[in-house]
Amino acid sequence: MLVVVGLLLGLIAAVGWVDYVTGVEVSVSLLYLIPIALGSWVAGRSVGIILALASTGVWLAVDLLAGHAYGHWFIPLWDTLMTASSFLVVAVLLGTLREVNEGLEQIVARRTKALQAENAERRRAEEDLTQALTDVRKTHAELQRTQIQLIEAAKAESIGRLATGVAHEVKNPLMTLSLGVDYFLGRKPENPDQAQLVQDMKEAVLRASNVINVLLDYSRPRPLQRTSEDIHNIIENSLALVRHQLNKQNVTVVRDFDTALPPLSLDRTRIEQVFVNLFLNAMQAMPPGGTLTVRTFASTPFWSDSDPPAGVIVEVDDTGHGIMPQHVAKLFDPFFTTKPPGQGTGLGLAIVRRIMEIHGDSIHLGNRKEGGARATLQFNTQPNATL
Amino acid sequence: MMTKRILVVDDEPSVTRNLKLTLESGGGYEVLGENNATNTLSTARAFRPDLVLLDVMMPGLDKGDVAARLRADPLLRDTPIIFLTALVSNEETDGHEMSSGAETFLAKPVDIGELRQTLEDHIRR
Repeated sequence: MLVVVGLLLGLIAAVGWVDYVTGVEVSVSLLYLIPIALGSWVAGRSVGIILALASTGVWLAVDLLAGHAYGHWFIPLWDTLMTASSFLVVAVLLGTLREVNEGLEQIVARRTKALQAENAERRRAEEDLTQALTDVRKTHAELQRTQIQLIEAAKAESIGRLATGVAHEVKNPLMTLSLGVDYFLGRKPENPDQAQLVQDMKEAVLRASNVINVLLDYSRPRPLQRTSEDIHNIIENSLALVRHQLNKQNVTVVRDFDTALPPLSLDRTRIEQVFVNLFLNAMQAMPPGGTLTVRTFASTPFWSDSDPPAGVIVEVDDTGHGIMPQHVAKLFDPFFTTKPPGQGTGLGLAIVRRIMEIHGDSIHLGNRKEGGARATLQFNTQPNATL
Repeated sequence: MMTKRILVVDDEPSVTRNLKLTLESGGGYEVLGENNATNTLSTARAFRPDLVLLDVMMPGLDKGDVAARLRADPLLRDTPIIFLTALVSNEETDGHEMSSGAETFLAKPVDIGELRQTLEDHIRR
């Protein structure tokens, strides 16, 4: 500040010298306004007033030194007063302008700060809302999942009751029929037609009995007999069980196995049941000469951050007609079948899912981009089974 | 070969009748059917069977009660009991003793060959 005032006083002195050299020249006197204006704008009104008074002093000194002759003593006094007033007006005006400007700047800064705070608050609120929305979506998904589980549980319970009732009411008559058939089978038939008829009756009784057994199995699964298993052995065994049908339909089997997978704790027989069901379904969906691909790989489920991967995925792909969109939601429903009457109980996939669930694992069915359907089975390496 | 006596207790007359017919026609067995489970003990005491085939699910009666009464009787305590049940699948029983106790269950409808085999195994014991 002092440096600025010093420089400006120097400038006033310089203007005084020019004023003195150039004599009585009003336009030169206007040069005093430069340091006054600069001082007022840069350092404020007070400094401006000091500089205005200093400039008036210099101007008066130059005037006296020049020794001008005035007609009356009042004239130089009047000139001095006028000059001082002009300088002071400029100083006060610019000083005031500066203060107003500073005030405005402060207001702008304050409002900017308030706006920034408001924006930050809004951003925080927006983030909170986004988080709340995510939470709501998550809760909604969980609710939907729970609702589906409840519906499934209610369905399973109804089917359980139905199964028990049906088992009791149907198996006793079946027992009578079966014993009658066995009686006739133990006797010499009167003719070949009679022998065939009795054999057909035996098979019919067995088929009806099997449907009820499957229903009982579905409604009241047996406890799992878990053993440590290589999933590939189970897949190979299951393929061997359906080899006859595979050959008959000329199906090509492609194995895409990750042989470094960890062993899994599974009920071997039940998981073979799963694969046999899936392979048979795939075969039935394909025209002769199709391709059945079985792929295995390690994977971490989305809910786990385990390293190494905590899961094993098995994909079963077919080259059949795929799944109709209207069937997707019903695929695992008991008694839902797209097969002609008498060719499927509609319990195959229901049981497949049940077996996966009691293992604590999961299954998903969908269509492949290339055509055909894909069953994706997710096995956990850390079993969290319900049975 | 001595004829073995089998008591069949089942509320379905057609089941007891046909079991009698089928088992007796194959020879080696004398079968008596009882459709009223409450009479099981008196019928068994009179008949003195070598084995009892007992239906699990009979109206108003618990199979455990009937079996317990038979086992509590000094004359019948060593008579083997095989349970017939409509409530489990053949795959589950498979002619083996189930884990819920040292009892043998056969799932309805029974295969006559499997039934004969099970009867022979238990009577021989």
